[in-house]
Amino acid sequence: MKVGVVQFPGTNCDRDVFQWLVDQGHSPTYLWHQDRFDRGSFEACVIPGGFSFGDYLRSGALAARSSVMKSVSEMAKSGKPILGICNGFQILCEAGLLPGVLMQNQKGNFIDDWADLKNPLNNKKIRLPVAHGDGRYFASSDTVKKLWDQNQVNWCYERADFNGSVDEIAGVQCLSGNVKGLMPHPERAYQNWMGSTDGWQFWI
Amino acid sequence: MDLNLKLKKYRIKPEEYDLICKLLNRPPEGVEWALFSSLWSEHCSYKSSKNYLKAFRSEDPRILTDEGENAGVFDLGFDERMAFKMESHNHPSFIEPFHGAATGVGGILRDIFTMGARPIALANFLCFGDSESPRMKSILRGVAKGISTYGNCVGVPTVTGATHSESEYNSNVLVNAFALGLFEKGQKMISAKACGIGNLVVYVGAKTGSDGVHGASMASESFDSQIEAKKPTIQIGDAYFEKLLIEACLEVLEKDLVVAMQDMGAAGLTSSSFEMASRGGVGFNLNLSEVPLRDSRMGPEEILLSESQERMLLICEPSKKAQLEGIYQRWGLEFKVIGEVVQDRRIQLKWQNEVICEIDPDLIVEHAPRYQRPYHQLQVQDLNLLKNHLVQCEKDWMDPEWIYRQFDQRVGLRTEVGTGNPVASLRLKSNRNLGIAVGARPWLLKMDPKLGAYDAAIEPCLKLMAQGFYPQAMTDCLNFGNPEKVEVMSQFVAAVEAISDVAKIWKAPVISGNVSFYNETENRNIIPTPAVAVVGLKSSSDLKIGSCLSEEGMTVGVLYLQKLSDPFDAKKIFESASLFFKELLQGRVRSARLVTEKGLDYCLFKMSESGFGIGMSKNQTQLQACLYQYVVEAGPDFWKNLKIPFEIIGTTKKTNQSVNSKTANRFNQTWGLI
Repeated sequence: MKVGVVQFPGTNCDRDVFQWLVDQGHSPTYLWHQDRFDRGSFEACVIPGGFSFGDYLRSGALAARSSVMKSVSEMAKSGKPILGICNGFQILCEAGLLPGVLMQNQKGNFIDDWADLKNPLNNKKIRLPVAHGDGRYFASSDTVKKLWDQNQVNWCYERADFNGSVDEIAGVQCLSGNVKGLMPHPERAYQNWMGSTDGWQFWI
Repeated sequence: MDLNLKLKKYRIKPEEYDLICKLLNRPPEGVEWALFSSLWSEHCSYKSSKNYLKAFRSEDPRILTDEGENAGVFDLGFDERMAFKMESHNHPSFIEPFHGAATGVGGILRDIFTMGARPIALANFLCFGDSESPRMKSILRGVAKGISTYGNCVGVPTVTGATHSESEYNSNVLVNAFALGLFEKGQKMISAKACGIGNLVVYVGAKTGSDGVHGASMASESFDSQIEAKKPTIQIGDAYFEKLLIEACLEVLEKDLVVAMQDMGAAGLTSSSFEMASRGGVGFNLNLSEVPLRDSRMGPEEILLSESQERMLLICEPSKKAQLEGIYQRWGLEFKVIGEVVQDRRIQLKWQNEVICEIDPDLIVEHAPRYQRPYHQLQVQDLNLLKNHLVQCEKDWMDPEWIYRQFDQRVGLRTEVGTGNPVASLRLKSNRNLGIAVGARPWLLKMDPKLGAYDAAIEPCLKLMAQGFYPQAMTDCLNFGNPEKVEVMSQFVAAVEAISDVAKIWKAPVISGNVSFYNETENRNIIPTPAVAVVGLKSSSDLKIGSCLSEEGMTVGVLYLQKLSDPFDAKKIFESASLFFKELLQGRVRSARLVTEKGLDYCLFKMSESGFGIGMSKNQTQLQACLYQYVVEAGPDFWKNLKIPFEIIGTTKKTNQSVNSKTANRFNQTWGLI
């Protein structure tokens, strides 16, 4: 599958995501933040983690307003799968492609850890690495209720108070389901030696 | 200005002033004061240590760099090469913990990617004072946050470290940062020697500000009670710029667009330009008016001395300029040609179309004073003296996972084992693993500086070997007090002797390093603390040696590598460890761990995290007191013909002991972190 991997200045999981896709048999291509692209050329798109634009202003805020995101937005409207991981999730929220926002972790510290996750839609359980400073998912109570009612919450932390996210939400998807955002890193867990293989065939 | 005031301002000693006058045949003028001040500082010139560091020289063919490069490069075979180095940022971290620690990480990363290697791992060695001493809790928080903010943002995992707390660091903490990089296949190593007459001298990275002016000479001085006044000498880092700089520099190196490169670290533009020219045996014409500035009011002296971060100086052929400029612009970085390489061995500095200085770079770089400061020989003392302290240490130690959990450990897809384990393990493309371990134990160094220095290098070697890594090479960060004091100089000389001895015995040469003197506050010197990082290689990723008990019914024993009742013998420790290592390579060892000062009980407690414990047939008091002992889990074959003294202590069985967080919580409570 032809997959676009978006690069902003400050993105730092781009090479990992690229490798993850190659190892799963996909054909990734980097997409530079200043360039538009033809949504027809790709079947899917990943926005990797990192600190786009140094997290200045708010994490994801500057990246969400870049040229490449206009193309990502068009791609989202056409129903193609788009995944934002970590900073990518923050960018999708800032771009309005996903509801809610990601705020600083409750205790103020960056968290590097493993997280047990559960998908409330099918009760599937997985274990993935987490590394974020701004991972606390937040949305108004009306929005959160809607997310649950419309089956848009797709991953939750099993441990209470993991980072202070409302309802322990770790990942959400848009109403039509093709745009997904996730704080943990599936690309860091797809071979035995990495400590978990739950990131293998995680998506597409 | 009065001469004495001037000497004080530029931190130049009267006898050094006389030497300068002799070299120049006249008194220094204008910016020359600033040049000598910074490059003749202890921090830049190594004037008290250089004579002794020769002991680290090695003919090992696996070392690919000459002396004087930014970091050591080592050949791992199978087309894999690594560069690594450790560096101190003690003084800045005490004055301003967050920025001090952050820029320490930034500086060491630049030393690595300047060589052409992509940084893939960070580690650190930290010594704090008592939790109750003034500012200490906020220093610890600041240092942890500084390292995490910087390392996480640039996308290089922090995979291991060591943290200590002793009252001797109350007014002088230690923050040592280690970085390791790998070369892409075919990527050539980049030198810091300028060459090619007519080539351009190019400034890239962030703009120059007035932060960190006089930083190098500040770091070469003891602290007094006026540390607030030293804040302007602190550099302010921006990890985002560093990330851009890494990507841009690696891209231009991959495309072979530059002939030499050096980061602007201590003493900023001065040291980078003078050292590059001096090493290459050439001169530069530099126009300081071309340097990109954050503050247009800056004058030539501030520009020369600023230690603003995330800046590099590079030399390129004129024909490559356009392509080079395009790449740096794409990454949103400054790019400015500020001079050219000339044949004459002189550096000409221009400011607003006027020549303000013309001087032979060798005068400043090569003719810096060298001191043979007085010292006496220190010997390793009787190990039995350690006995009581070992028992005490078992009760009093800290578990710094609170700090390490703030570091991204897995970015880059190489981390197999991160912090919270005896050694870090990183996967290589060749299906081998690199192991990293950091050593130096202040409690031991305080009792016996020479033995402690041996230990700083031996302990990480033994930890690596227990996990299947053979030590390849090491780097050191020698943190000491005021070298003008005989006691301190003696400790320093003893440490260099001990570490180079271990390097020779293990055939793991010291390929890079850093000396930090003047860790002294109001006449109190720190514990001599030579931190050592050792990098080991596991020849196959398939070789599985755990650090936790792995199976029911296995025999667990203690291997004595150095008893307290025997005289200290580094060679014998090496021989015993090598015998054990051979057995391990044969697959006869299931898991192993070096017992640290935390004691055997703690070691067994950690080894039981896997859900297996041992039925103890002996308790700790029945065993021999040791400086070094391995706990080994193995089948019956292993023990049959073992030529190392050992004692069986039990058999593994399933337990329901789960890992409790009591120990970690104690650390967090002491430091007020929960």
